[in-house]
Amino acid sequence: MAASIYLPMLEYFMYYLYQAVVPRTVKMAEDQDWTAVYPTAASFKPSAVPLPIRMGYPLKGGVSPDKQGNLELIKIPNFLHLTPAAIKKHCEALKPFLTEWPSALDSDEKCTEHFPIQVQTKDFVSSGASLRNPNARIVTMKVPLSSLNLDDHARKKIIKLAKERYCEETDTLTLVTDSCPLKQQNYDHAMYLLTVLYHESWKMEAWEEDKAREDMEEYEWQDSPSQRNVVELLERTKGTEERKKDLLSQPEVQEYKDAIVIMKNHGETEENLLRYKEAVKKLYNI
Amino acid sequence: MAASSRSARVLSKIFHGHYLTAAAGWHQGLPTRLIHTDPVSASPHAAITVTEEPDTLYQSLSVLVKGHDKAVLDSYEFFVTLAANELGLNLEKVHEPHRSIDKLTVLKSVHIFKKHRVQYEMRTHYRNFQFSRVTGSSAQVYLEYIQRNLPEGVAMEVTKTAIERIPEHIQKPMWDNNDTVKTATPQLESEELEKCT
Repeated sequence: MAASIYLPMLEYFMYYLYQAVVPRTVKMAEDQDWTAVYPTAASFKPSAVPLPIRMGYPLKGGVSPDKQGNLELIKIPNFLHLTPAAIKKHCEALKPFLTEWPSALDSDEKCTEHFPIQVQTKDFVSSGASLRNPNARIVTMKVPLSSLNLDDHARKKIIKLAKERYCEETDTLTLVTDSCPLKQQNYDHAMYLLTVLYHESWKMEAWEEDKAREDMEEYEWQDSPSQRNVVELLERTKGTEERKKDLLSQPEVQEYKDAIVIMKNHGETEENLLRYKEAVKKLYNI
Repeated sequence: MAASSRSARVLSKIFHGHYLTAAAGWHQGLPTRLIHTDPVSASPHAAITVTEEPDTLYQSLSVLVKGHDKAVLDSYEFFVTLAANELGLNLEKVHEPHRSIDKLTVLKSVHIFKKHRVQYEMRTHYRNFQFSRVTGSSAQVYLEYIQRNLPEGVAMEVTKTAIERIPEHIQKPMWDNNDTVKTATPQLESEELEKCT
């Protein structure tokens, strides 16, 4: 009778002894669910991974040490919890939370046309004493000036206000803000700067009317000494019967004007000088 | 033996509340309650709500991972690319910027022996993943998944380029071109100067 009472206890004792002596790898089926063995990131367990792995500097015999009690295998990060099957399972669960990109915006040009403002931010993930990274608060805002509603005066004024923040080649205004401690604050600050620049550029100050020829950004042929010289020349050669407007509307004069304007604004190159030479020759009817 | 086996069954009923038989209680050499079963996932569709707020649009998303071990980064690259393909995100480019080595030279001994030094170096390997045209919700979900599975000793830097419309307050100028604004003229400055002196 006494033996029959202890029988289930013996069964359990034998079961637990069996667990300690025989590793789990022996009992694994080949078609088992691996995601059940390593559902999350865990250190390497030699009794749970049914692979004959060896790692480390070779022993005296000439082979790397076995996986049993191998610290090298435990030290490095393993991806046993991220097998392709596990990744597919996770993605299946995540799919309902994703949204689709609008199909109409399939090229960069269309994106720039409908959504001109570009805001660039950075996020950092690293382990250390602190979670924070001071570079995460920096916000860079890029706007192409062609997308803003600006007239000629406003465009020139905004370029003068922005100074080195404006790039001529790409026609973009870049605002980098990092004066506030939070990213959201820096974004608001950048938007505020853009708003102020825009509205200030449309304002016409009283002293702006004193803008002289020397302050102009580009060379203007209208009312310039060059135009006066050409008019004088044509008046002397062709006579004073024709008016100034008719003189100026001649194609040779227009060609000369283009050549001069290009040379003054874009610098002197061989091509520009050749054009100027041709234009002058036509004027003089050589 | 028959009597002992019968009494064993009675005892098992007392301990477990039911008769423990070979078929019911044990499965492949393990008690049923000790087998790991997949937790039944309730369908998440009921938990998703679509809000009226417009989704942010990212023209490009650049993920730069840094680590000391190239093999770890290779495995992580496999994981990131597979996840991106499964979720339908367009991964434009995966490239490996050149590694950087930081070297440090210190004295070998605690006291004197200036000619004998020891050099240490820290090697940082990089991997860059470029995504294009990702919505805000997708980016949030994918980045969280990627970051939670970031291996130990690997750092990540995410550069997001969001695109936005021109806001309403910048579309039209506030001031009419005809009204010239009167501001402080140079004469006022000279008046202030006179007050100071």
